[in-house]
Amino acid sequence: MVLILIGVHTMGGNKPLFKKVLISNRGEIACRIIDTFKKLGITSVAIYHGSERSSRFVTLADEAYELKGETPVSAYLDVNQIVNVAKESGAEAVHPGYGFLAENSNFARKVMDSGLVFIGPDPEIIELMGDKIRSREFARQQGVPIAPSVTFNGDYELFIEQASAIGFPLLIKASAGGGGKGMSIVKGPEGLRDSVRKAMAEAERYFSDNSVYAELYIERPRHIEVQVVGDGNGGGIHLFERECSIQRRFQKLVEEAPAAYLDRAVRKDICNAAVKLTKAANYSNAGTVEFILTQDGKFYFLEMNTRLQVEHPVTEMVTGIDLVELQLEVAAGYPLKFRQEDITVSGHAIECRICAEVPEQDFIPATGKILQLSYPSGNHIRFENGLDEGQKVTLNFDSMLAKLVVHGLGRSQAVDRMKEALGQTVLLGVDTNLNYLNKVCSHHAFLDEPLHTDFIEEHKSDLSKDNTSEIEIADVILASALEFREFKTLTFEVPEPYATIGDWRN
Amino acid sequence: MRRIETAVNPHSSEFKIRYEHNKKLVEQFRNKQDRARYERPERDLQRLERQGKMLPRERIDKLLDPGTPFLELSSLAANCEYEGEAPGASIITGIGIVSGREVLIHADDSSIKGGAWYPLSVKKIVRCLDIALENHLPVIHLCDSAGGFLPLQAEIFPDRYMAGRIFRNQCQLSKLGIKQVSLVFGQCTAGGAYIPALSDYNVIVQGTGAVFLGGPPLVKAATGEEVGFEELGGAEMHTSVSGTCDYRAETEDEAIAIGREIVAQWSQPEKWPCQREEPEEPHYDADEIYGILPNDPKKSFDVREIIARIVDGSRFHEYQPNYGTTVVCGYANIWGWKVGIIGNNGVLFNDSSLKCAHFIELCNQNKTPIVFLQNITGFMVGKEYERQGITKSGAKMIMAQACSSVPKFTVMLNSSFGAGNYGMCGRAFDARFIFTWPNHQIGVMGGEQAINTLVDVKLNQMKRNGEEVDEDLINDLRKNTQDGYLEKLSADYSTSQIWDDGIIDPADTRNALGMAITSSLNAPLGPEGSGVYRF
Amino acid sequence: MKFEFKVDDRSHNLAIKKLKPVLTVSLDGEAHSLEEVGKKGLLRSIQVDGRLVSYSSAKVGNKVYLHLHGRTWGVEFIDPRDSAREDVEGGDDIRAPMPGVVVGVSKKPGEAVKLGEIILTIESMKMETNLVAPRDGTVGEIAKAVGETFEKDQVLASLEEVENA
Repeated sequence: MVLILIGVHTMGGNKPLFKKVLISNRGEIACRIIDTFKKLGITSVAIYHGSERSSRFVTLADEAYELKGETPVSAYLDVNQIVNVAKESGAEAVHPGYGFLAENSNFARKVMDSGLVFIGPDPEIIELMGDKIRSREFARQQGVPIAPSVTFNGDYELFIEQASAIGFPLLIKASAGGGGKGMSIVKGPEGLRDSVRKAMAEAERYFSDNSVYAELYIERPRHIEVQVVGDGNGGGIHLFERECSIQRRFQKLVEEAPAAYLDRAVRKDICNAAVKLTKAANYSNAGTVEFILTQDGKFYFLEMNTRLQVEHPVTEMVTGIDLVELQLEVAAGYPLKFRQEDITVSGHAIECRICAEVPEQDFIPATGKILQLSYPSGNHIRFENGLDEGQKVTLNFDSMLAKLVVHGLGRSQAVDRMKEALGQTVLLGVDTNLNYLNKVCSHHAFLDEPLHTDFIEEHKSDLSKDNTSEIEIADVILASALEFREFKTLTFEVPEPYATIGDWRN
Repeated sequence: MRRIETAVNPHSSEFKIRYEHNKKLVEQFRNKQDRARYERPERDLQRLERQGKMLPRERIDKLLDPGTPFLELSSLAANCEYEGEAPGASIITGIGIVSGREVLIHADDSSIKGGAWYPLSVKKIVRCLDIALENHLPVIHLCDSAGGFLPLQAEIFPDRYMAGRIFRNQCQLSKLGIKQVSLVFGQCTAGGAYIPALSDYNVIVQGTGAVFLGGPPLVKAATGEEVGFEELGGAEMHTSVSGTCDYRAETEDEAIAIGREIVAQWSQPEKWPCQREEPEEPHYDADEIYGILPNDPKKSFDVREIIARIVDGSRFHEYQPNYGTTVVCGYANIWGWKVGIIGNNGVLFNDSSLKCAHFIELCNQNKTPIVFLQNITGFMVGKEYERQGITKSGAKMIMAQACSSVPKFTVMLNSSFGAGNYGMCGRAFDARFIFTWPNHQIGVMGGEQAINTLVDVKLNQMKRNGEEVDEDLINDLRKNTQDGYLEKLSADYSTSQIWDDGIIDPADTRNALGMAITSSLNAPLGPEGSGVYRF
Repeated sequence: MKFEFKVDDRSHNLAIKKLKPVLTVSLDGEAHSLEEVGKKGLLRSIQVDGRLVSYSSAKVGNKVYLHLHGRTWGVEFIDPRDSAREDVEGGDDIRAPMPGVVVGVSKKPGEAVKLGEIILTIESMKMETNLVAPRDGTVGEIAKAVGETFEKDQVLASLEEVENA
């Protein structure tokens, strides 16, 4: 089955969407965005920190500008510098990718004030949805169910009382947070004060905003999110859901579309709720509405991400739609070319995030160098990456190296193909979670049962089991030994006649 | 080259008698060697354990590259001396491979009397370093000795080739660019301190290793200063304050690992290009040698049969096969190396002496190492032979042999008497290595001849003094003289005195020679030319 | 003379037994034969116990990354000198358990510490970890300051050596 990403070069004639667009991002997502730009004949402009000047996304782009920054991350967060470069380059628009400044309303505003188009929703919407407390309130007002919660206002006693009223266990979250930072679970009232204090400190450190709130912690919840696109005029559609329940340390590891073992009615309700929110907010461009689904089919609004998500390729693979292209169209002012009934799901897609980390040691990040890279290809495979052989893997950025996305006619085939693709991926030079991902995808619970966000924790011992056979260990160690001078000189380079005389004594 | 055709019949009764006799001799030798190597007083073993030390042979095993051979030299040194208190002369020496390089190992055997040096211990070490000098082999010293055995100091200390010669040799080795590394596992006191000090590199073990010119008791006696062993000369001080020692190891295992790593830094040696071909196993079984060697000094054997069981493929290119037949000369390969072989098949006559001299010259011309297989009772004596100039011929043979620039190796197969020893490259003639078979005898003249002479001399002396001489007395005299004389002729005795580089099982000869020849190639050839031949 | 390799934090010992005619080694006490076959592009082949094994490999420092049998492996080679030192007691170095950044330094060089006292605090993957003294002693050196980053196994601090009695 061949997937075709539907794309039209122009809308209504031969006018390109944009002539030149700057991508205020890097690495894998920058490469992916450039791909669509090339397809559409849009000149791509990349920005990069000096330490990444020979990176693939820089060489792929049509133009590239170096940013100054004390640390690499600071360069990609430098609003003023990036806006200036965008103006200087003659770009008409800025695509922020995900992470970095993608959900920074200040940046969006500055881009717009400079006369450029920001490929995303309006700054006010970014601010609204960026504030967990405000966004939840907004959702509630629209009749979208939200999990009971309470915000911390400085009064510990009041907070403890209100929180206890919700019930335990509770999840303490940073209002301005994301990616698992500033989150913790509290089992009972005695742990509340300390958890709040710690969460506030972390929130302050990571997000410069120490607002925290407590939310009912749902046991074995499923993380279901819906891809939406709004036209900015109260119109919007959904592109169905994704399931992102396989998480470690509150960060997604494996995602898929559609969600497995999901009741049809629930699915319909969730997607409709997402669209309702999108329309009510007059949302413009692509976004994702995230929900928590309980074991008994109830769902609660979590947050809305006003940008493209890491796992968007699974949606693209089952719907056949290029989301970046859709974003460009909306940003260029065109109406949505799809109606809701045009969106269909075909087959099943799974994405595995390949990260530089050591799962056996609680997923601590790993560093190294990409010494060898080769991966399977095919119509049903996407290996999203910005990697080059020889590039260093540092702690400068997120530990995700690449995304392996696989499509199948059904979930079973998708899983089989994913396992095969994982086994065929060669990424040498840094510790990765490739083996671990394969174990996850091979676990009977992954195949046969509905997923939930405690999956990793629940099957911890299964997933940490060492299923190496003695034959494999022998092959591995003997092959490794040959790489070392010390071993080679004592085996294949022993001078004659001593090697042949062998282990003789008189 | 064609294979030697054997005339040996392994089923004959003669063969079987000889086989049993020689096999037994070899077994006795092996037992003796095992005891000398491994039998140690419980007290000594316990002391080593208390000190946390490894047995010296364990250290050597760990030092050597796995799967490689080790040729131990003079394993039965001092077996007839010191009432057996110094098996192997308390020293272990040998050639082995460490980090891919040939090395000579000298290890003090601290598992007996703390590794104290007896006179023959010193001789063994000096011999080891002489081998290093002649063959340009690097040396690894495993130092762990209580020092010189004081009661015998007069035989250890003062003379030219005694203890001082060890240190003189070390300096000369260093000057020639031949490296030495010392691993200090125990005390290096007084003179012994100079072994690590004169080594190019040394490693010292924390807690048990120490280097000092005088130990704590001596220091106290000499100056009254009271100082502990560690503070005076331990690892910490010498590796950080005095700089006498280069590397500090926490354990013996670590010291060995460091030693191996040091050797791994050395550049590969350059060998002179001795001709080499693909090695081939001898066609005949070496085990048959036991049935070839005689069980009686009066009996003989064809040295070709021995050659056939040592050389590659049993192939031999014989030179002048029909002339001077009491000596066999020819080319063969041993572990691939092209060598010249000279072996005795009887007494040396004029023609055989001349043949030898000529063949030795051919080997020198061809840059071929020479292997001497000694089984010689002497040159022919008598009026006819003197008139033919046998003394001159012998002189020519000795001159050619002594002035050879190629490496020489000697194996004492069975007997080595008189001037025959000289011509056939005995100890005095700088063979790189000399190995002895357990059945061998060496002396100025053969047993019976000598005993008769000695008894006659004694009897005449007694008669002159007017002493009573009866049959019993003559028999006793004969017996004592015999025992004493024969003892000193034996292989055991000569190896005890380190007149050779060790007794070996005849079946081990091929490997021993293979290793000896290979390691000898590290030294360049000697100067060409010879002295004046008396024609 | 043994070679030590670590796979998934488990140590394996490899000893060379025989060189010819076929290399025989002993891995954790089990004998195996090993022959080199060849290289085709990035794929190497060897024969283990007569079985053909093909794999990709990349070496960095003392670590080898391999891809074989459909899995990725990381094998660490322990230098024989470090192997020999392994049973030496009381390492005086405090090494980083993972890469990260120093967020707190609690002791100064020359200060006395007791077993278990915090010497530095580090952070990695949003987790703070306290590094403590492995024994009573005196702080020798603090190698990193607050804000400085480090790699796994780097020495962050060390205690002064103790003189052997």
